[in-house]
Amino acid sequence: MMEEKKPILSVKDLVVNYGAIQALKGVSLDVYPGEIVAVIGANGAGKSTMMNAIMGAVPRASGEILLDSKPLPSKSFQVVKEGISLSPEGRKVFAPLTVLENLDMGAFPISDRSAIEKQKEDVFELFPRLLERKDQYAGTLSGGEQQMLAIGRALMAKPRVLLLDEPSLGLAPIIINEIFKKLTEVNCQLGMTILIVEQNAKKALQLSHRAYVIQTGSILMEGRSADLLHDPEIEKAYLGGKK
Amino acid sequence: METFIQQFINGLSLGSVYALIAVGYSLVYSVLLFSNFAHGGFLVIGGYICYFALRSGGMNIWVASFAALVGAGLSAIIVERLAYRPIRERTPVTLYMLIASMGMSIVIENLFVVTIGGRFRALPPVIPTNPVNFFGIATTSAFDILSLVTAVIFLVGLQLFLVKTKWGLAIRAASYNLKTAGLMGVNVNRLIAIVFFTAGLLAGVGGIFLSVRYTLYPQLGAITTKAFVAAVIGGLGSLPGAVIGSLILGLAEMMTAGFISSQFRDLVVFGILIITLIVRPTGLFGKSVGEKV
Ligand SMILES: Nc1ncnc2c1ncn2[C@@H]1O[C@H](COP(=O)(O)OP(=O)(O)OP(=O)(O)O)[C@@H](O)[C@H]1O
Ligand SMILES: [Mg+2]
Repeated sequence: MMEEKKPILSVKDLVVNYGAIQALKGVSLDVYPGEIVAVIGANGAGKSTMMNAIMGAVPRASGEILLDSKPLPSKSFQVVKEGISLSPEGRKVFAPLTVLENLDMGAFPISDRSAIEKQKEDVFELFPRLLERKDQYAGTLSGGEQQMLAIGRALMAKPRVLLLDEPSLGLAPIIINEIFKKLTEVNCQLGMTILIVEQNAKKALQLSHRAYVIQTGSILMEGRSADLLHDPEIEKAYLGGKK
Repeated sequence: METFIQQFINGLSLGSVYALIAVGYSLVYSVLLFSNFAHGGFLVIGGYICYFALRSGGMNIWVASFAALVGAGLSAIIVERLAYRPIRERTPVTLYMLIASMGMSIVIENLFVVTIGGRFRALPPVIPTNPVNFFGIATTSAFDILSLVTAVIFLVGLQLFLVKTKWGLAIRAASYNLKTAGLMGVNVNRLIAIVFFTAGLLAGVGGIFLSVRYTLYPQLGAITTKAFVAAVIGGLGSLPGAVIGSLILGLAEMMTAGFISSQFRDLVVFGILIITLIVRPTGLFGKSVGEKV
């Protein structure tokens, strides 16, 4: 059923080089409207590189990135304007700014003040903990709160596709569960399309509808997440054997 | 006591002009993480625009100052566009920009030497310098009070810009992490242009007052060394630090001149720098210990 629709975000044969190192060797993937798509892979597989290439934060050597079948511009600020936001790896909240100011930064491309306020309310409804800490400096938040802020900040731009780079990184399992539950909410209630990359393969496969497995810069496998979750190969390589 | 009050006011006045220069220099440092040695050039450009607008253009001081500030700001944008952007688009190593800035500093200085000569020029007496009796307790000059007031107005203006506006917020975010600010949808090149314009404009204000204080010549920009020292004392990249450091330097210089000897001014300035670097290497308000050139 999903395959009948056109993909909202489409990556075709994406190649990215860092000097002599080829970090992405022709990666292709599709994300359909309303979907959660996960990309799982080990350290150094090229997950963050792919996200940064979509955002225009690292230059691409070749390949295409399409949003609604139209080529995505190459500069970050234009990509955000087109409707793609990233919650970056390691959260990267602006430590010396308050929670509110961080959210305002997320809404930078939006000029309508009342739309920004409305968006802030939605983010606070999703993460009430941020509302309690709205005047606190982001640097003084806990790791989990900083991750919530990073996601909230990305939502502020009202993206059409939300990119998440390892939202589980360095967090306790109980916080990871809380955050992933919110992501399901964002997807179901707001209809937000999400592309998530994760090392935590199990959580990512449980959250997503479809998934890709990336290894040293190439897509190794793709399929429905529910199937991949029970694939013996995947279980052995990414889910830590039998559980 | 009278000398003390007099030198105190003069010290604040000189320090506040240093602050205008140090704050812009610090602002650039905080976003691009290199010491822009061409910063003094913006000050000289502002001074010469004001000079020629008054002398040859016959404009009044308001128009001439306005032209000087805008001109200094635009020249800063041009320097960034020509010398720094090509580098930062190719490499994250900021040392190359520092070296380029030393080159641009020499270029600007010599452009003036070659085109209009190196002689000392005095601005026409458009800024009052007559003595003023300060509430009957000390005598100071109208010039000192005027430059102090002007500097405070511009520093408060900068603060309002940074705190109250969208681009001000973006600059504060970028001075923490430029790359992440770019991911938020900020046009990074435009942000950097705004930062350079602001830094150049503030240097231009300083340039006009310094031209009156010391006369105008192509090497006047060298005085920026004092502002660099002030910024390092305050903590590189910190704007409050740059202001406090500048006031400390201005006061120290004027107190030394008033009570010891004018010849010891620079000795005291660098003495304070050395003591600060030994006792608190990050400066008064500095946080991270990185390369500070
Ligand atoms: N700025 C860079 N310069 C040079 N090489 C880089 C750079 N960034 C990443 N790489 C290399 O590219 C490869 C892919 O890195 P990337 O960060 O995309 O991996 P990842 O899948 O996100 O890993 P992780 O799970 O650890 O975050 C790695 O081999 C890495 O060393
Ligand atoms: Mg990564």
